Amino acid sequence: MTDKIQKERIAIVTALRTPMARAGGKFKKMQADHLAAVLFRELMLRSPVSVDEVDEVIIGNVAQPIHAANIARVIALRAGFPESTPALTVHRNCASGMESITTAVSRIHAGEGKVYVCGGVESMSNIPLVYSEKMTTLFTDLSRAKTLLDKVRTLLGFKPSFLKPIVGLMSGLTDPVSGLLMGSTAEVLAQDFGISREEQDVFSVQSHLKAQKAKESGRFALESMVVVYDEKEGKFLDFDDGIRESQSLEKLAKLKPFFDRKNGTVTAGNSSQITDAAAGVLLMSESEAKKRGLEPLGYLCDYAYEGLEPKRMGLGPVFATHKLFQQTGLGMNDMEIIEINEAFAAQVIACERAFASKDFAKSHFGESEAVGAIDPNILNVNGGAVALGHPVGMTGTRLVLTVLYELRQRKLQRGLATLCIGGGQGAALLLEVK
Amino acid sequence: MDHEKIQYFNRSIDERGIVTLTFDTPNSEVNVLCFDALYELEEEIIEMQEDKRIKALFIESAKAHIFIAGADINEIKAFENSAQTVEMLGRGQEIFNRLEDLPFPTVAMIDGACLGGGLELALACDYRVATNDAHTRIGLVEVSLGIIPGLGGTQRLPLLVGFTKAIELITASKRLKGDKALKLGLVDASVPGGYLGFKKEEFIQDILAERLEEKVKKNRKGILWYERLLPVKMLIAKMARSAVLKQTDGHYPAPLRAIDVIEETLTMSLEEGLKVELEAFEPLATSQISKNLIELFFTSEALKKETFSKEKAKLVKSAAVIGVGTMGSGIAWVLASKEIPVRLGARKMQSIAGAMAKMMKSFERIKRRGRLTSREIGLKMDRVTYTTTMQGLDEIDVVIEAVSEDPAVKKKIYETLEATVKEGAVIATNTSSLNITNLVKETQHPERFVGMHFFNPVAKMPLVEVIAGEKTSEESVATVVKLAKRLGKTPIKVSECAGFLVNRILLPYLNESARMFEEGEEIERIDRLLKAFGMPMGPFTLSDEVGLDIGEKVSTILYEAYGERMTPSSVLSEMTAKAWLGKKTGQGFYTHKGKSKTLNNSIGLLQNGMEKLEDDLILDRAILIMVNEAARCLEENVVDNAQYLDMAMVLGTGFPAFRGGLLRYADSRGSANVVARLLELEKQFGERFAPATLLLNMAEKNETFYDEDKKDNG
Repeated sequence: MTDKIQKERIAIVTALRTPMARAGGKFKKMQADHLAAVLFRELMLRSPVSVDEVDEVIIGNVAQPIHAANIARVIALRAGFPESTPALTVHRNCASGMESITTAVSRIHAGEGKVYVCGGVESMSNIPLVYSEKMTTLFTDLSRAKTLLDKVRTLLGFKPSFLKPIVGLMSGLTDPVSGLLMGSTAEVLAQDFGISREEQDVFSVQSHLKAQKAKESGRFALESMVVVYDEKEGKFLDFDDGIRESQSLEKLAKLKPFFDRKNGTVTAGNSSQITDAAAGVLLMSESEAKKRGLEPLGYLCDYAYEGLEPKRMGLGPVFATHKLFQQTGLGMNDMEIIEINEAFAAQVIACERAFASKDFAKSHFGESEAVGAIDPNILNVNGGAVALGHPVGMTGTRLVLTVLYELRQRKLQRGLATLCIGGGQGAALLLEVK
Repeated sequence: MDHEKIQYFNRSIDERGIVTLTFDTPNSEVNVLCFDALYELEEEIIEMQEDKRIKALFIESAKAHIFIAGADINEIKAFENSAQTVEMLGRGQEIFNRLEDLPFPTVAMIDGACLGGGLELALACDYRVATNDAHTRIGLVEVSLGIIPGLGGTQRLPLLVGFTKAIELITASKRLKGDKALKLGLVDASVPGGYLGFKKEEFIQDILAERLEEKVKKNRKGILWYERLLPVKMLIAKMARSAVLKQTDGHYPAPLRAIDVIEETLTMSLEEGLKVELEAFEPLATSQISKNLIELFFTSEALKKETFSKEKAKLVKSAAVIGVGTMGSGIAWVLASKEIPVRLGARKMQSIAGAMAKMMKSFERIKRRGRLTSREIGLKMDRVTYTTTMQGLDEIDVVIEAVSEDPAVKKKIYETLEATVKEGAVIATNTSSLNITNLVKETQHPERFVGMHFFNPVAKMPLVEVIAGEKTSEESVATVVKLAKRLGKTPIKVSECAGFLVNRILLPYLNESARMFEEGEEIERIDRLLKAFGMPMGPFTLSDEVGLDIGEKVSTILYEAYGERMTPSSVLSEMTAKAWLGKKTGQGFYTHKGKSKTLNNSIGLLQNGMEKLEDDLILDRAILIMVNEAARCLEENVVDNAQYLDMAMVLGTGFPAFRGGLLRYADSRGSANVVARLLELEKQFGERFAPATLLLNMAEKNETFYDEDKKDNG
């Protein structure tokens, strides 16, 4: 056990998410602030707490849109929170949707406030293309040119290649320290752990099948709302449209590796999808919920973040979970439902191996026992980001609420939500129902 | 100073010789330019004109939101004979001439409403400074009351904004914001309210340095050279007249007379021009049309203050609309456009999404007119949420139910609603014909249920009938009355009779028209005659708009409630059976294609007779049957008074405002005349024309619906 003092549990009173829509598709005309405003207004209407009782709105978002600085404030106002309610945007890359929650937890424990609304949103459709440095320099020079002659002279320096944009999405998914694309970090893990292409594809088909089942059984409808995404045409989405009903090994086998065209195993089909979505929760301390006579969806007991090598960022869950277990004295056997974000199939499989490995535990933690093997039957039981998508700022919140809904459905008590974080970190949250 | 007399103006002078004259009507929140105020202004001017110390005069208002709201309408309404009108107004013109002739610069500081006579005063000043705050509205709005500007407005406005613009502003009663007024050259500066003091100081400096005129000249448009050319002038006036005629069908003389005056006097001296203005003003001011319009204005002012309840309204922070058909989506749109969070409830997500598309269409129309930006629309639509499971209604303050007119469906919804909404939530039903008391018999809290009858199309129709069931609480009534006002509507409380007020009176009119057709009269002739009477459209065109099925349904309800006199014409049911439902099926009394319509070729099949009627007989059958029903409504206290009834008919059916309303029209004919005519009609066409008791009593005593002795009912 570490020195972290165990504090009161935090009640997650209400939780809700939007459907997950493939980027460039249904939600492409909804900017992140708009999509989140729809979600948070609905969340508050469904919660037993009114907007003026909320002490702060904290929202995670990775590709913060340029038109909405401190997007959380924009979202809070558009969602109907009073002007007097402060709002804060947090960024911990892929864990931003968890960071929003844990930031609130610290504030509650510090006695700064009682009721928080947290969550995450990402509109990956709307991550902009950026002009190259050469082009922006040209624009600056042009605006500084005083005479017509100067302007013409400046313009003569233009070359069509200046117009080649920098794709914001790709830049965002590239680790600037290791210089690797996220997918390439997954290739590193596939090599380290000897994970075959087929293993990854099998995992991916499973993700789609499980998600398809959760969609059909109405399981996802429990945690998700309907979104009218095109108000002019009256169109709405009430399911996660990344799930491919007919996903098969044959189809996946046809895809070319994306990140390492020659030797690679990671394809678009066995990676998480690029998606738009928002998720939110309403938080307060357990005692506050009791005082109000509320029955929360569940509780957050403890959490841990841990850093690691950026080029092996996919193992973040192992490091964070190890730390969490140290803090709580619990082990893998105490977990009844586990969600590891499926950034890449290879990366989740690598985590499974590392969790089960004595060698890994020894070399990284100097311990003789493995952190703990995961029972595959309780891992990502409703599929994961391979089928649903990974809207980076939102996923963290989704994992929390999907674990809690699943525990409730199965009448179980304890679960783990963990994910890897671009840049080399991991996050792990311990959740309970009663 | 005489302290017995009311004092309207306060005058102060600083060491530089700058005089500030502040208009501050005692014990009032507004400044109105009554004759007493004018006379006092004259005394002030006379004192100032000889005072050599004075370098400039600034006229200001001490009232928040108002500079001068206009002339005193009560005084205009009281104008009876021409000699008195000419004399009083002539005196007023002279006072403004004196103001204009003051030997030092004069500036009107306009912060708030500056309308009618208020603007005419400002026009007689040398300069005008306005604030660009939302409450500042500047315009000559006289024609909306059936008169024209009579204190030099027709003379001085063109000098600033030009001939064409002056006509446009006056005939349309435009109320300009400060920035727009500056753009047109009507004011010389437009600044935020907080900067008005700085601007005043700047003007003072410029006046003292004698450079103000030079500065403001650049912005003034004035009469353009070509506007003075006779053919151009005539053409502009002609176009303006035809635009007015298109709008008014020639029923409103004031805008036409305004054009005449401006055209005739454009090249005249001020003195001559004022004479022409006065000559044109006088007959309008003493006309019945102007009195009618003023009466309606007073009624609307009275209705603004009316709460129809002894209790206070509850605070409405959010609303829900259950049922998102035409009416539901219309109501939801009005709520959203007024930035009241609204939750849509319906069984199918498809209908909700469709309703949102309709709402967006309404917003897009406003956006095309440049009144809203995409950002503003987005923020309004943010407040619209939806549910197919009645979830998330526990914080809602008012639920408006607008599902189909089926008591069973409504009752089921009330049961669900009562299980979900918070204690104290008001539930309003948009029923147009069902009895509220019966609908809510089985509910736990009948006191929270109230009728809130919007008219179609909701976005355009300003009337809301508010109906209390037997157990409806005063608080529920107050809440929906206040909400309706927030939505920019005029709520009028009516009692719980079949058809409520407007439909109860209107249906007999549609029905009688159908009977006339059935007996042999031409559809198009009847439509033409009633349009000429002033109705916005003829009865058959209206039936086609509303839908014959709806007309039939309501007729049946009325027949069941009122018996013989409301026997529906068989035409209605025959047409419904043939699915000739009007515009929505493309076939009704007319055949509709796109926006054009022609008479339905086969409609003759439904005709049984060959009876042709005189024009006035057609009109009387259509209109007096309404008068008679309206009299019954008054008799039964369905509505508080004749004024409210008339306003309801004007707002709910487009009954011609220049006639002042249905009962005002009856007054113009006299109760004896109306009763005599009804008796004739009864003899000829049946008992349904038998005059109401109230009318009979009135005829006996030669009374009118409106009490003319009562000068002010505002």
